[in-house]
Amino acid sequence: MFINHNVAVHLMDSMLEAAIWFWIPLCLVPVGMWFSVSGKAKTAGKVIAAIGLVLVMISSWTVPSSDSTAGGHLLLSIVAPSLLLAYGVHGMIFGGNVPVGRLDSSARWSGSLAIFISLLIFCLMHWYSFTPLWRNEEINPYWIVFWPTFLLFSTSLCSVSAVALASYGENRLNESITLAILSVTMAGIALAAMIFDGYLTTSTEFRDYLWLAAADIFGTIVGISLAIAAFAIVIWAYENSLPLPENSPPPTEDEIEHVVALAKNHIGGDEE
Amino acid sequence: MKQSQSSWKLLILAALLPVLVLVAINVTGGWKNDFHPESFKRFGNAVLTSYVVMGIILIGNLFFYADSRHRPFAPFVGMMFALAVGILIAWALISNDDLLLEANSGLRAQMLSNVVHLLVSGTAMALASLLAIGVTFAMITGRERRVLFEEE
Repeated sequence: MFINHNVAVHLMDSMLEAAIWFWIPLCLVPVGMWFSVSGKAKTAGKVIAAIGLVLVMISSWTVPSSDSTAGGHLLLSIVAPSLLLAYGVHGMIFGGNVPVGRLDSSARWSGSLAIFISLLIFCLMHWYSFTPLWRNEEINPYWIVFWPTFLLFSTSLCSVSAVALASYGENRLNESITLAILSVTMAGIALAAMIFDGYLTTSTEFRDYLWLAAADIFGTIVGISLAIAAFAIVIWAYENSLPLPENSPPPTEDEIEHVVALAKNHIGGDEE
Repeated sequence: MKQSQSSWKLLILAALLPVLVLVAINVTGGWKNDFHPESFKRFGNAVLTSYVVMGIILIGNLFFYADSRHRPFAPFVGMMFALAVGILIAWALISNDDLLLEANSGLRAQMLSNVVHLLVSGTAMALASLLAIGVTFAMITGRERRVLFEEE
């Protein structure tokens, strides 16, 4: 009985720690973003979201007993190549012909180099010793979730972009071919991971997770679409239930005189 | 209208084709990987989790952007009901025998694991979108500006 009580107390403590150091900070991220985007408390919202994100990222140290913190640890592991990717994309876009916020034309080259290096770092995280290690020097279990999902989704999206540019754009064949090459490159990286073992993961594991990544992507898209459809139905039903707006009363004599005086003033030019 | 419809079909095909090619290679390659037995569970969990999380985000938007509409209560209740249905289905399917339970100890562990899984796969998809959409815009802005009118 005493042992059971101790186990229950320990379990409660670890759950409470996980709630305080991982789950509440995770909830703070969207709440902060809502405050920031809605304009109610722009700066405070950004600060709240940033604190939440940092706490989630360092949760593998603040609450090491929780398995969920592997997700936060993975986010921390990929933050550097992700920021490099964002910097590269920004430089490539704004180094070109944009009407506002144009950067020096060298930003396009530095941007493309940054994108290349960020993708290289991701590859090295799979095939070299940069692989994110979590508890007891073991591989982070979510790395093998992240990597195939990223490769599959980017291959698919680049292919869509290439076809969209070719079919909707005017004289965009060269740009479309570049995007198709990027799509084939990402597919090539996925194929290489299917054939060659990673530093701490085998190609068999990657092939297994490729199925799961495909299931994940389709499932997430279907789930998001269903939620948006439910939201649209709720809003549509509410708007339909509203009574038609009442007609406003006709203008009074004073109001008509005022409008006529204004119109005369603007049309007639008596004052000039 | 017909051309627009065929373009949409082409775009959907372009999205599916690379995934299908990789999965086909996975199945027919020398290693002969069969359909992963956990794929259906992953698909089901991903559908339910993303539905619930997206529902919560939309309810948040409804709350934070409703000032101009005098905060109507009805859509809020409607979305709460839609969300409750999603949570109820998730609870029923995960608790029911071995239908959606993956390598987790129970209902709560599976639900929490689903949220973290969505966080990771969502980050992967967001980064992939950043890469693809960013490079697309970079290609569009990279071309020299065309001269539309020659000044006389």
